[in-house]
This record gives sequence, C-alpha cells and structure tokens, in this order.
Amino acid sequence: MSVLEVNNLKKYYFNKNIFGNTFSKLNQAKKTPPKPAITKAVDDISFSIKKGEIVGLLGPNGAGKTTTSHMLLGVLTPTSGSIKYFGQEFNEKSKELLKEINFSSAYIYLPWRMTVYENLNVYAHIYEVKNKKQRIKKLLKEFEVYEHLNKRMNELSAGQKTRVLLAKAFINYPKLIILDEPTASLDPDIAVKVRQFLLKQQKEYQVAMLFTSHNMHEVQEICDRIIFLNKGKIIARDTPNGLLTKFKKNKIKMNVLKNKEALETYLKINNIKHYWQKNKIVLTIDEKVIPKTLYQLSENGVRYTELEILKPNLEDYFLRMSRNK
Amino acid sequence: MNIFRIRAVILRHLYNFRHHLDRLTDSFYWPAMDIVLWGLTSQYIQSSGEKVNHIVLILLSALVFWQVIWRGQYEITTNFLEELWSQNLLNMFSSPLTLGEWVVGIIILGIIKMAVTIIFAIFLVWALYSVNILNLGLLLIPFFLSLLMMGWWVGFFVTSVLVRFGRQLQTLAWSGVYLLAPFSAIYYPVSSLPTWAQVVAKAIPASYIFEGMRQALLTGEIPVQKLILSFGLNIMYLIISLVVFKQSFKKSKELGLARLDSS
Repeated sequence: MSVLEVNNLKKYYFNKNIFGNTFSKLNQAKKTPPKPAITKAVDDISFSIKKGEIVGLLGPNGAGKTTTSHMLLGVLTPTSGSIKYFGQEFNEKSKELLKEINFSSAYIYLPWRMTVYENLNVYAHIYEVKNKKQRIKKLLKEFEVYEHLNKRMNELSAGQKTRVLLAKAFINYPKLIILDEPTASLDPDIAVKVRQFLLKQQKEYQVAMLFTSHNMHEVQEICDRIIFLNKGKIIARDTPNGLLTKFKKNKIKMNVLKNKEALETYLKINNIKHYWQKNKIVLTIDEKVIPKTLYQLSENGVRYTELEILKPNLEDYFLRMSRNK
Repeated sequence: MNIFRIRAVILRHLYNFRHHLDRLTDSFYWPAMDIVLWGLTSQYIQSSGEKVNHIVLILLSALVFWQVIWRGQYEITTNFLEELWSQNLLNMFSSPLTLGEWVVGIIILGIIKMAVTIIFAIFLVWALYSVNILNLGLLLIPFFLSLLMMGWWVGFFVTSVLVRFGRQLQTLAWSGVYLLAPFSAIYYPVSSLPTWAQVVAKAIPASYIFEGMRQALLTGEIPVQKLILSFGLNIMYLIISLVVFKQSFKKSKELGLARLDSS
C-alpha cells in the first residue's frame, strides 16, 4: 500500500478584482497586461510514494512544489482532487493522519523568543510523544545541537535553526516527512551528516520522504525517484539515472592550443553548440559522436590539452527542463 | 479535544510570556497607569465639591471591569498574531492540532492571565486609594464572567479579520474593542448618550454590566435582569463569533495559510 497517493490534484486561484473595473482601467492606461482570470498553481497532478521511498519534487520557481506540499499538509485547500495517506482520505481524517506526518522547511521558523527545548517540548505535546525529554535529547544529539538546548532560537545561527527544525520534524517518529530544502544554509559537512541521518531513517524505520531541494547533487544522491514539475504540471518522472539516460547531450571541455579558426569552422559546419570559458572551449554533443568529433578535430589540425568529458547531471536536466517552459 | 494539545497551546504562550517583556508591561504597566490617572482624576472631582456619590469607587471599579473585557479580547488577538510574527502558523496547523483545541487553549490561557492582571489591579486600587472592589462580593463572579465573554467574542471577531487579511490589520488586535467602548456605558449611564447611541448600547452586553455595577454599588440591589440580558447577548455573540472565525479560517485555508506568515 502507498504511504501517499495523490490523484488529479488541482489548485486554481480565481483572480477577482474587488475594486471592480477601477484597476483594470488603470492597467489599460499603463498598458499593464491584465491578470489571467485563473492561475493554475497545480494542474491535475497524480503520484504516489511507497513506504520507505524518497521522492524528489523538483522544478523551477513557481512550478507548484510549495503549493503541492502545502496541500499535502492541510494548510491549503485543493480546488479538486484527492489526497490519501495510508489508504485513507486526507480531507476526512486529516487530524488523525497528521499524527503520522511531519515537515520541515528552511523558510519556516519556530518562535524565536522561546528556547530550543521549549519549542520542541510544545511540539512533543502536540504530537503526544512519550518520553518527551529523552526524545528531544536524542534528536538534538543526532543533529549536533544538543549544547544549544537552553538557547533561544534567535541566538542560533541559520544552520543551527535548520537542524532544530529537522529535530521538530522527526519528533513524532513520522511515517512520511515532507522536507522543503532541508539542507539549505547548512555547512557542507553538516549537510552530509543530515543526508546520512535521512538515509538512516529511511533504512531503519522505512520513513518515506517527499524532498524538494535546489541542490541537484543532493537530490541525485538521496532520491529514489524524481517528479519534475513545471507550470503546475508533472512533465517528467523517473529515477535520477532514468532521467539522465533521456538526456543524451554531453559536454567536452578543452584548452585549444592551435588552429582555433579551423575549430570554429568545423563547429559551424556541423552545427555544434559551444561557448568559451576563458581560454577553454565547451562543446555540447551527443555521447555517441564524441570519438568521431575528436578524430575529425585532430584531422583538421586542431591541437588541444586538458580534455574533459562532462557527463550530464541532474543540474543540466533541471536547467534544460526549466528553460523549456 | 485532546488535553495534551490544549496544554501545548497554553505552554507555548506561557513560555513566550516569560521571555517577552512587552507582554509583562501589557499585563501590569498599562493597568497600573490607568488606575493612577483615573484614581487621581476621580479624587480631584470629589474634592472639588461635585455632588457625585462614590465617584472614586465607581470610576475605579469601572476601570478594573474594563480591563476584564480588554484582556479577554487582547489575549485572543495577540496570541494569534504571535503565531504570525514568529512565522509559526504553518508548523501549528500542519500538525494534529485542531482549531477547537487552539481556541480552548487560548481561552484557558486568557482566564489565567486575566486573573493575574485583575488581582494586581484590585490590589493596586486598594493600596493607592483604599477602595475595595471586593465589596461587591460574590456578585463579582457573574460580572467578570459576562465581561470576559464579551472580550472573547470581540476577540474572535477581530481574529476572523486577522485570519483573512493578516498583519496589515494588526492594529485591530489592540484597538478593536475600543470601537464598542463609547456604547458600553463604562463611566456614564446609558441615558446620557444620544438617542441613536442608546439603541446601540442596548445591543452591547457590557452596558448592562456597567449599569448593573453602578446600581449595586449605589443602592446595594442585585441587577438580576441586567445580568441575564448581558449573558444572553454574550452567549449569542460568542456563538456567532466562533462560527464566523471557523468560516474565516476555512476561507483562509483556501487561499493558503502560508500567505499570512509572510503578510
């Protein structure tokens, strides 16, 4: 059974102008394009997450990632569609189901005047956690912020706050956790530890996760599957490697020593996209034509050093899909 | 209703109260300043030979009574605003916490904090002016309960506005109840108002309490009818305010609670 099942989920905003025609006339005078009558923030998406699965939700700004996660958390009412957790309708049993879920976002805060312990104690009460003190202590030690237990939130660094929020997100032993850029603002070494913690939770407790991040290396490392959103629609879904196999373009980077003119002519004739990065040239070509291209460059008298073949990564995929909007 | 979650709401705001100097001044400093100013004013009026019976007692009792309404409203509105200021609304309402549990938690918290402020104010009035508001005896209980209920429904109406429009209308959190103050007959009888305002005053539960308080202090009579009327109106308004608040919250979720955190 799926931990989460989303079917035909939509969120439309109907742009009503409460001031009648006044602003429309002003906009016409200023030649401002009128707002569309409907904004489709999320437009008919369906997906599911299995027990212990980590799914990445990717997409450019405004793609509908946050709107989707807010609907999944019950803080935004969908226009239509269904959300099921553990086979049960969310809109019928939301408060029961929310006991098994939690979330953390780098852009949401905890009351800043209260101490770390006070904040976590409040949430331990809300989620009816047993042995509250031990749970808080264990989580803070896992995230290496235990020494800040009695500090106020506004005395912590951005990275420490993020880790306290992650502790809050795991306080109720969730079966599904929604993480919105959980490692943003963390030092690389702490980010590695957080990723290890998430993978440990997945392995040991079969915690399912819906994960958004702009760190594509992280997404590639941690996610079992990726859902790519754009303009509120799912435009791709696959494993990270599955997505990359669809993306056949590789990059070749080289330091050209001799015959730049011949190189430019060759690229023009063969319609190969390229750009210069200081004194190095970067060519974008299909993987299967790399040997032939290098051979022909050599035949044309082009001499080069420091040859690098750059395999496509999720970042390239993200950029291409985002630009294709 | 879950007792742990209601306790969590109370704990969250008591922790905040402990670290928040502003809240301490709201609870003690402003009531103290009001008592000092109004006490001195009423003493001056009495010493100038005006034939107003028990002026000091009446004005200071009215002042303490008004504190009950004001604190009742203030606790509901500012505790909701506190979640917006600390961008904690999403954390709270993406949890199993229900709106009903939040309301009950805030009401219990309001009673605790109102009791602290009122005990302080009664003590101050007695210490500075030798006026004992406790002379009203057990009658204080229905008076305070009715006033507190009025504070709650005003608080829920104001919070219904805040939950739709966010911090841009946050001034209402402090000033909302003052809109009703001129019609509440706090320091003067309803009969001294213009005719149209008397009609409005009859729909305000506080006007019956303040009139009843003066009646009890001056004549010793228990204003049973006024108390019944004030309770009746308060119960009706409280039910309406809770329905409006629930609908407003539902509407706000259609637009997204996240927009309130950043409003």
